[in-house]
Amino acid sequence: MRKTLVIAVREYQAAVKTKAFLISLILMPVLFGGSILIRMLMRDRVDTRDKRVAVVDPSGQVFEAIAAAAAQRNEAEIPEDANRWQRDAGIYKVVEGARKQVRPRYLFEEVKPDGRPIEEIGFELSERVRNKELFAYVLIGRGVIEGARSPEGIVAYHSNSPTYDEIEDWLARPLAVRLRTLRAQQAGIDPAVVESVTAPAAVANLGLVSKDAEGRVKPAEATNILANIFMPMGLMMLMFMMIMIGAQPLLQSVIEEKMQRIAEVLLGSVTPFELMLGKLLGMVGVSLTMATLYLCGGYYVVHRAGYGSFFPSELMWWFVVFQSLAVLMYGAIFIAVGAAVTDLKEAQSLVTPVMLVVVAPMFVWMNIVREPSSTLAIVASLFPPATPMLMLMRQAVPPGVPAWQPALGIALVVLTTLVCVLLAGRIFRVGILMQGKGAKVGEMFRWALRG
Amino acid sequence: MSNVVELEHVTKTFGKHVAVNDLSLNVPAGSIYGFIGPNGSGKTTTLRMIMRIYYPDSGSGHIRVLGEEGYGAANDRIGYLPEERGLYKKMKVREVLRFYAELKGLRDCHTAASDWLERMGLAEWANKKVETLSKGMAQKVQFISAVIARPELVILDEPFSGLDPVNADVLRDAVLELRRGGATVIFSTHDMAVAERMCDFVFMIFKGNKVLDGTLESIQNRYGQDTIRVCLAEGNGDLRGLEHVEKVTDFGRFKELRIRPGADTQAVLAALMQRGRVAHFELTRPSLHDIFVRIAGPESAGGANGRQSEAANVGRA
Repeated sequence: MRKTLVIAVREYQAAVKTKAFLISLILMPVLFGGSILIRMLMRDRVDTRDKRVAVVDPSGQVFEAIAAAAAQRNEAEIPEDANRWQRDAGIYKVVEGARKQVRPRYLFEEVKPDGRPIEEIGFELSERVRNKELFAYVLIGRGVIEGARSPEGIVAYHSNSPTYDEIEDWLARPLAVRLRTLRAQQAGIDPAVVESVTAPAAVANLGLVSKDAEGRVKPAEATNILANIFMPMGLMMLMFMMIMIGAQPLLQSVIEEKMQRIAEVLLGSVTPFELMLGKLLGMVGVSLTMATLYLCGGYYVVHRAGYGSFFPSELMWWFVVFQSLAVLMYGAIFIAVGAAVTDLKEAQSLVTPVMLVVVAPMFVWMNIVREPSSTLAIVASLFPPATPMLMLMRQAVPPGVPAWQPALGIALVVLTTLVCVLLAGRIFRVGILMQGKGAKVGEMFRWALRG
Repeated sequence: MSNVVELEHVTKTFGKHVAVNDLSLNVPAGSIYGFIGPNGSGKTTTLRMIMRIYYPDSGSGHIRVLGEEGYGAANDRIGYLPEERGLYKKMKVREVLRFYAELKGLRDCHTAASDWLERMGLAEWANKKVETLSKGMAQKVQFISAVIARPELVILDEPFSGLDPVNADVLRDAVLELRRGGATVIFSTHDMAVAERMCDFVFMIFKGNKVLDGTLESIQNRYGQDTIRVCLAEGNGDLRGLEHVEKVTDFGRFKELRIRPGADTQAVLAALMQRGRVAHFELTRPSLHDIFVRIAGPESAGGANGRQSEAANVGRA
């Protein structure tokens, strides 16, 4: 055990004392946070040039409403307060001179049909779009007000920018409001009555009601769907990154020891199993060092931001347990691969199937967060290779999981880890002293099974 | 005198290839034991078995090292320098030494490391990374790492190969001092002169079989005084076709003649004087080099080159 620790300490120092470690330590949050930051910054970096849209309105009753709605939008919504980060709970203070245009204005112009066939007008307007005079044009069908179930009843939006759907999306609401008013008038109903009778009810997403220590009923709190989804996902991603970041140095150091013939010196002092275990413990140490830094940082940030209830501290302990097991389980496989190959390139192709298993939870996490107690979620989170990530994720979604599930999960993972370490140890023992060509997968299985 | 290493009827096979065949060997405490033999004949495999890196085929005899069978605490008392050097490139020299010392259970090695580095002329490299060292320096560092924990048994696989004469002398003195300190030394070498000068016992393995084992004297005595070293001052130096002479080995200035058993050396001298002025004429026992070549060279029955190199390849696997 003493020698195992000596190996572990060296492995840990070799990994932590490098520039690469420091860089990846900084780079990971930068990559994660950066993508969010860039999206925030890029949000304002849109094309703010005016978008001109022609409207052909044979009825002559719709255009005015659209133009008015657009004018209101141009005035109220487009500019934003320059120091909007300080604004309070959505209350919008317009500071004169500090307003800055962050969205394009929509300018609608009416085109009168004047008895010309609609195809001809369409071609003419299309030409104007091609010449960049217009951004798009809208043909309002003759039967729209009546709600005709024919091509006449359609509002057609034509543009040469098929992926830009903001105008099309925006248009739907003023159109609907105007049509509702028109139809109500035709039916002889007061439009104000229609608006009030068709007003939708807001649905609030709340948690459950509980009692506090003194037996008083505590009102339910509003559910924060985003926090409830992103917290589990963040934890899963962190664990995934830890495994990925830990795997590379482990593979490299095994290959270095093998190819630089260091292994032979080491095996003169320790058994192959002690050597492998030492390396594994070193890697667990490295990944826990990183995870601790991120977790503590994340915990601090989350609690400061007032989302503390979504990140209870016991989740950190679960993370540490599952992280350690995951590293041991996957690390053993990486070590076996490293011992069986002769260079990193060869290793990569052998590791790919393992990586697929590591990545697998990424494909199902959304379903599992949505329905953490479905049969799929329970079965998937009890599948040992996926347990560390998925079980932790389910625990992070309120109200958590029954206690037997993480217990069973850990038992299964421990069992799998022991089997992995044992089999990998056999491959390691044979492979580490083999020179020349790398081993084939079949050979590795034979070493593992024969013992 | 007790034996530090005892091998009894040990066999090791890799697949179908027999690397070591029914080998028995005793290494007395405090001796310097030289392992010789062509490449791929089983030297390294034998050393690895003594180190418990390899285990003999099941049911094929016993290996006892420092009184222990099988892997155990005894390994802490063995220092090992493998044939192919291995040091972590990114570590500093002193860190490497501390790591290897700790693996052997030595906690405080600072003074020992400083002493050794000083002795090997590496004092100013103590805090440099291994990757900055020259090959010879790295080899000396590796040697220190093998002996820093004051092992009772030192196993060196070709410790002198690739060293210049100055460094080879430094290393030789270190080995001799280890022995004076009570350690037993086993080393393999291809340099027969080194083996002759340093070793109390010489062991030769050829194609997995023991072919020589004993003191240099006892080995040479088996062959008798059948060698003449000659230096001719004049003449074209072509000594082929001399009567009574079995084989001529030309070293340039000196030549070694192997004479037929029972032949008259005076007759050979007379014949030589016909060929030129004899400046040096010495009746001697065969050198270890000569014995090695007689066993493993092309002239020997089993030494066909093709098969030998084939054996070498498999032995490395």
